[in-house]
Amino acid sequence: MSAAPKDRLAAANRKTALILFSIALVFFFGVFGARLLGSPAASVAVLGGAVLLFLVLAIGRHLRR
Amino acid sequence: MSSVPHDPAIGHAPAYGGADAHDHAPRPAGIMRWITTTNHKDIGTLYLWFSFTMFIVGGIMALTIRAELFKPGLQIVDPEFFNSMTTLHGLVMVFGALMPGAVGFANWMIPLQIGAPDMAFARMNNWSFWLLPPAGMLLIGSLFMPGGAPGVGWTLYPPLSIQNGMGMDMTIFAIHIMGASSIMGSINIITTILNLRAPGMTLMKMPLFCWTWLITAYLLITVMPVLAGAVTMLLTDRHFGTSFFNAAGGGDPVLFQHIFWFFGHPEVYIIILPAFGIISEIIPTFSRKPLFGYASMVYAVSAIAILSFIVWAHHMFTTGLPAASILFYMYATMLIAVPTGVKVFNWVATMWKGSISLEAPMLFAIGFLFLFTLGGFTGLVLSIQPIDVQFQDTYYVVAHFHYVMVAGTLFAFFGGTYYWLPKWTGHMYDEKLADWHFWLSFVFFNVTFFPMHFLGLAGMPRRIPDYSQQFADWNMVASIGAFGFGLSQLLFLYAVVKTIRGGATAPAKPWEGGMTLEWTVPSPAPYHTFETPPEVK
Repeated sequence: MSAAPKDRLAAANRKTALILFSIALVFFFGVFGARLLGSPAASVAVLGGAVLLFLVLAIGRHLRR
Repeated sequence: MSSVPHDPAIGHAPAYGGADAHDHAPRPAGIMRWITTTNHKDIGTLYLWFSFTMFIVGGIMALTIRAELFKPGLQIVDPEFFNSMTTLHGLVMVFGALMPGAVGFANWMIPLQIGAPDMAFARMNNWSFWLLPPAGMLLIGSLFMPGGAPGVGWTLYPPLSIQNGMGMDMTIFAIHIMGASSIMGSINIITTILNLRAPGMTLMKMPLFCWTWLITAYLLITVMPVLAGAVTMLLTDRHFGTSFFNAAGGGDPVLFQHIFWFFGHPEVYIIILPAFGIISEIIPTFSRKPLFGYASMVYAVSAIAILSFIVWAHHMFTTGLPAASILFYMYATMLIAVPTGVKVFNWVATMWKGSISLEAPMLFAIGFLFLFTLGGFTGLVLSIQPIDVQFQDTYYVVAHFHYVMVAGTLFAFFGGTYYWLPKWTGHMYDEKLADWHFWLSFVFFNVTFFPMHFLGLAGMPRRIPDYSQQFADWNMVASIGAFGFGLSQLLFLYAVVKTIRGGATAPAKPWEGGMTLEWTVPSPAPYHTFETPPEVK
């Protein structure tokens, strides 16, 4: 593989990893946030809904590729 | 291709990345090869051996439990140590044996099945693995701390977990480290699948094993941080004066249960979904037919994963939930039977009128099908709240989840090992030994765990070192079965080592019905494969 596509692939890999890592961070701090907000059910529902939406979009985008 | 019913072209692709494929740089020899390796096959092998080692460690703990329960009364270990054994057995098996085992299969097979040269982040892959041995040592080392290992059960419920000794802190750190390893591994797997597939391999052409792992990895990324958050709160409650779960300071112990099971229930699917993937590769191959209903299998796995997020409180039916919550969690849990039923139906339909042969991988797959379905049905029974109230914390629950975890995941791992062993080692395994391993495991598994349904129905509580006389007979049977099952696994070790050391030479495609990309490379798979991506039509 020549340098340019290789770099593009590495950049795409980094971008995907950062998005995934940010989901992990949101969930880790979300647990504390939910406790502090005093409404665990609402917080978990909002977080869970956002992440599920992301998953549907992320996988959906790749379905035809 | 087993998972791509309309694309036979892949099956006829020329062998690729042959044994003469060049190495990039000289590899370090000996132990340094394994410490510094960034090769997905090496790291897969490391994961699988680590998993087997922890399986033996967790198995010895299980046998200690069963030896104590062989007859009523206290005879071998004291009750505190017994509690530590039940706790560590659960943690070691879940975090040390089953999860790393699944990651081992993923490391070996995902790049080979999607035509990628390696994982997307090869160095991070090495790091993900090498975090595990220290975490395992922390977990097992907690046994030697003052006060012993935690005796709180693998669920680590407060207030007991706030009161336990230093072993509890070691367990919390071990969970943190294993969680970090899992998150890194998942990021690697998702990135590899999304970005490194061979040209032409759309997601809907991907082998089902890769699909199940893609969804499993998303589950891991979303729930492992939640567990990490929960045990961090536990740590701060223990040492930094917070009161997240400490009722004396205004905290709520039941909150921990909510957070734990928000992780814990998807965790069940994290463990079983890769097993579904392995079974979905084996059954078409040995039925010599494409997988029935490929697309519906993908949607069923996705549905199971999404539903797994909204059913956690069925583990907490006895904590005094409002009636509306109970109804919601009860029906949501029952709903999971629908996509699971789709999968079981599709596996059976794949076998229907197939040209079936019963080599060891297929035996384990059929064993999985029978026993996992049985475990699924008892799960359905437990989802009914009025029944669950009766069975909560009884041996019925122990029987249920061992039918899912052992006869489900472990049998799939055994089947997967025999299925891909020729590709990994270049040798065919000893079929007679493998068949013996299956039949002994199948019989002794049922001897061990089927009686536990009766014990649970009769009201025997779990996690107790002593019990009433009325439970004696079935406990004795279960203990005999457990020792038989444990000894049968030595046969597995012998069969694997024998295959590694020699045996009949395996061709590139040892199974007539195998149609995925890994069967287009020679056996054993060369150190570097698919450096030029294959074209998938």
